[in-house]
Amino acid sequence: MRSVFVIAGILFLLAVFGPFLAPHDPTAINIPNRLSPPGSAYLLGTDMLGRDILSRLLYGARWSLGLAFLISLIGLVVGTLIGLLAALGGKLTDWTVMRVTDTFLAFPDLVAAVVIAGLLGSGTWSLIFALSVTGWMRYARVARGIGLSLQSRGYVIQAKLAGLNNRSIARWHYLPWLLPTLTVVWTSMFARAILGISALGFLGFGVQPPMPEWGTMLLDARIHLRSTPLQMIWPGLAVVISVIVINLAGDILRDAVATERDQA
Amino acid sequence: MIKSLTGLVLRAVVVLFGTALATFTLLWNAPGDPAQAIAMARFDALLTEDVINQVREETGLNTNFWSAFMAWVGPLLTLDFGRSSVTGREVWPDLLTAIRYMIPLALGGLVIGLAISLSLAIIATNRPGGLLDRFAVAVASLGTAIPAYWLGLLLILLFAVHLAWLPAMGARTPSHVILPALTLGLGVAASLTRIIRSGILEARGQQFLPAIRRRGVSKKEISRDHIAPHAAIPVVTVFGLELAFLLEGVVMVEVIFGRPGLGTFLVAAIEARDFPQVQAVVVLTALIFVTVNLIIDVIYRVIDPRIGESNA
Repeated sequence: MRSVFVIAGILFLLAVFGPFLAPHDPTAINIPNRLSPPGSAYLLGTDMLGRDILSRLLYGARWSLGLAFLISLIGLVVGTLIGLLAALGGKLTDWTVMRVTDTFLAFPDLVAAVVIAGLLGSGTWSLIFALSVTGWMRYARVARGIGLSLQSRGYVIQAKLAGLNNRSIARWHYLPWLLPTLTVVWTSMFARAILGISALGFLGFGVQPPMPEWGTMLLDARIHLRSTPLQMIWPGLAVVISVIVINLAGDILRDAVATERDQA
Repeated sequence: MIKSLTGLVLRAVVVLFGTALATFTLLWNAPGDPAQAIAMARFDALLTEDVINQVREETGLNTNFWSAFMAWVGPLLTLDFGRSSVTGREVWPDLLTAIRYMIPLALGGLVIGLAISLSLAIIATNRPGGLLDRFAVAVASLGTAIPAYWLGLLLILLFAVHLAWLPAMGARTPSHVILPALTLGLGVAASLTRIIRSGILEARGQQFLPAIRRRGVSKKEISRDHIAPHAAIPVVTVFGLELAFLLEGVVMVEVIFGRPGLGTFLVAAIEARDFPQVQAVVVLTALIFVTVNLIIDVIYRVIDPRIGESNA
């Protein structure tokens, strides 16, 4: 259990400090050295433009993990606010908000993200926008659900009778209850965002070359699958390890939250 | 029952309308001049203002948002998806061809996924907490972390490049569907195994089971009449989610294997900025989705009458 957090910590450090460890410039093109096998100069070999794969992986962590962190955080904030609005805003607001949420849920997120990112024009901003727009609904549902269940609690009713406005009730009585569960949801959305970013990158709608991003690296590697198969192993492995570690950390958090709830 | 059904249908209609509106808003606000993009795609060069204006008029891009929206939604009600803005061909026949290619892949993926996850879950729950159980859970969680595009490349590497058993690219022969369906199916299996497993465990923990067991009801009958139906409820739930997974998976898998189908159709349409085609895919996907979820909601109410009484 502790080892999961140690690995998660290492991943975090790699995302932040990875570029300092990179032996080469990740975008430096070196055609004579293209597609070279792993060796002492290039530990994991080079890609089709002679760029160092290890350096691209290390820089890529910043794109793949960093952007996923940002996107899942945007979803957390927006989704929670929307969910609280539904829970506290009265019946009509609740109905409207939930139908909007249903509309967004009525569509496979990744397909929606592909359409949005593709039509807005490829680039980092449309990637962030596309994955945030399709990534807030679960938070909203959870926040609304817990919010509604808190409505009949004695202290909430008393707070209302004491004249506290909805904003304060949300801030002081709902949020502390919501946060543990939302954190668990956040870990799974973080993992989803990593997969989403690299999927869009792989389709060519995500982070644009020459920026090293794991999905885009896989797209490059796909063309040379026959000649240098190893090239596609590394970025995929990076995605898989990150997602597993985050999911495991999420499982541990979920158990911890559940135990605490049981004791309370 | 009838009251809650009307509610469900009404909800589905609202959701569909919302999807159409959201798609149209997105297209309307997409950067760049769509008329110019269409004219470029259609006529290649010789772009005079006249040509662009003509395109603008043809496609209704010269009107305001609401009239353009209504002009699009109206024919949609009769399943008229209009004409491709790039090739001028009707969208529906091309879309239908894409769907015909997609169906064997999606069905194959689903069958493989169900077969693997059911057997894994049954083996796992034979002795909960045992070695096999922990192994199955670990394999399943590993599986959910492996993205389809990587798994697909690995399978190509193994079966098409190294062993040269199966073809990888295109859709010429029936055997071309094997690797894509396997990629899709493994993903489906990974996401289903855990849910089926906990469904079975929960169904086994029902409090009346020891009582009927003591009355001498056979093990087989208990499995069939009491455990399986109960375990079916989460499976139905998952089916709705699984549909999303299948559609997403289909998009990725088709692109990886260079296979024609709904996903390649969509990606090509986006790249060509062929708005009528994109709109058609989006609306059709939403329609499939909403319909399946509607059916699932109805099935719930049939399997478990308690659902739907408390909230609609």
